[in-house]
Amino acid sequence: MTETELGTLETEMNRGFLQILVLALLEHDWYGYSMVKHIEGMGYKIEENTLYPLLRRLEKNGWIAGRWKLGDDRPRKFYAITAEGRKMKAGLLDLWKKQNRILEGIAKEYDHVR
Amino acid sequence: MSAKLETYLEEIGHYLAVGPGREEILSEIRSHILEKAEESGGGEAALEHAIAGYGSARRVAERYLEGREIIAPAFQRHLFRYTAILFAIHFGLTVVAVIFGKTFVIFPFVLVPRMDVIDALMYLPMAFLADLGLVALILHLVTRSKKDIKLPWFHFSAEAEKTARQAVSERPGRIAGPIAGTLAMLALTAAGLYVYSRFGTIFGVILDIRNSWDFRPFFTSEAGRTLSLVLIAAWGIGTFISFSRIFSKSRWINVVSDVVSLAVVGVFLRVPFDEVFIYPSSEHVRSIIKNSAFGLLIFIALMVTIDLLKNLVLLGRAKMPAKR
Repeated sequence: MTETELGTLETEMNRGFLQILVLALLEHDWYGYSMVKHIEGMGYKIEENTLYPLLRRLEKNGWIAGRWKLGDDRPRKFYAITAEGRKMKAGLLDLWKKQNRILEGIAKEYDHVR
Repeated sequence: MSAKLETYLEEIGHYLAVGPGREEILSEIRSHILEKAEESGGGEAALEHAIAGYGSARRVAERYLEGREIIAPAFQRHLFRYTAILFAIHFGLTVVAVIFGKTFVIFPFVLVPRMDVIDALMYLPMAFLADLGLVALILHLVTRSKKDIKLPWFHFSAEAEKTARQAVSERPGRIAGPIAGTLAMLALTAAGLYVYSRFGTIFGVILDIRNSWDFRPFFTSEAGRTLSLVLIAAWGIGTFISFSRIFSKSRWINVVSDVVSLAVVGVFLRVPFDEVFIYPSSEHVRSIIKNSAFGLLIFIALMVTIDLLKNLVLLGRAKMPAKR
């Protein structure tokens, strides 16, 4: 498998993962740049130009709410999860756990083959 | 505020076009880039670095536009097939309009005015674009409706056609036909040129080859000259088309061949038959010849049109991505 192929698959996998990640993170108020830095601090890198459109889509769906605040010398848009978003997050986490269980089960099943 | 940052944001805004939240999107990106640049020490270099790290303006804008396709992927394969079918109808009406001097109006979709062959050749590319636009508009409206509409899909046994074409291409001696066709067309063109250079027309009959080729032309000298040149030019093009078939199996060659044939038939059909015949002097025989020639030309035009429509539809289909 080439790095490009791996990158393409990673991008596809990230689509779902980033939604859960952002919803989970927004239990506290964050603005875009602070989220990028925070996620980087956790050892994961999120493309800036991916995060903002994602935030916009989640906001449009009513799962997060954004509001502008004038902090320091420039305005920043802070986001927080909504009640609807919490329900969605719970559903997505359940799904993710289920998928994880399936993959782990398969891995265990084929352990003896390796 | 950096001019570079504003130029960058303007470019993103250009790709985003006018839409709700456009200014808010740009403000958020501005805020992000300024903060990142400041954290990296500030200054123009840091700002340029932050802009470069954010990605190309078009790519950034496209991220926001994901899921807002003009035509949904499920309908994209319909675009060229539907256009090919619509254009085939348009083309057929155009041929009829040229031959019979009629105007067709199906408001607001089709307007085929009465026209001559040259007008038709200029009209058809615009007709194609109009058809493409109409189909695209309908597919866009279907996409916007967000309903699960199942559009009809016309099956033309694509796989069978492909297999048949592959079989032909793999057959030994595949190029023998085009070579023979090229030689035949070359001989015909050369013979036409020889007869034309000798008699000023190719339409006539030699009554006595021993008596200085007693040649009797069918048409008046001007009509004979014009029609001869048109036909010889068509043969010349036919030679080139046959020659092209040695190297390529593209259907476009067939389309060009059909269009040239139709143009030639169109020129002949526009000839005022009553004024061009020299022989025979009998009105009755002249009428028979005139009607026979007209009938023959119409028949050829119909056959060529059918072949052209078939080629256009097959070409449209070949451009479609495979059905998944």
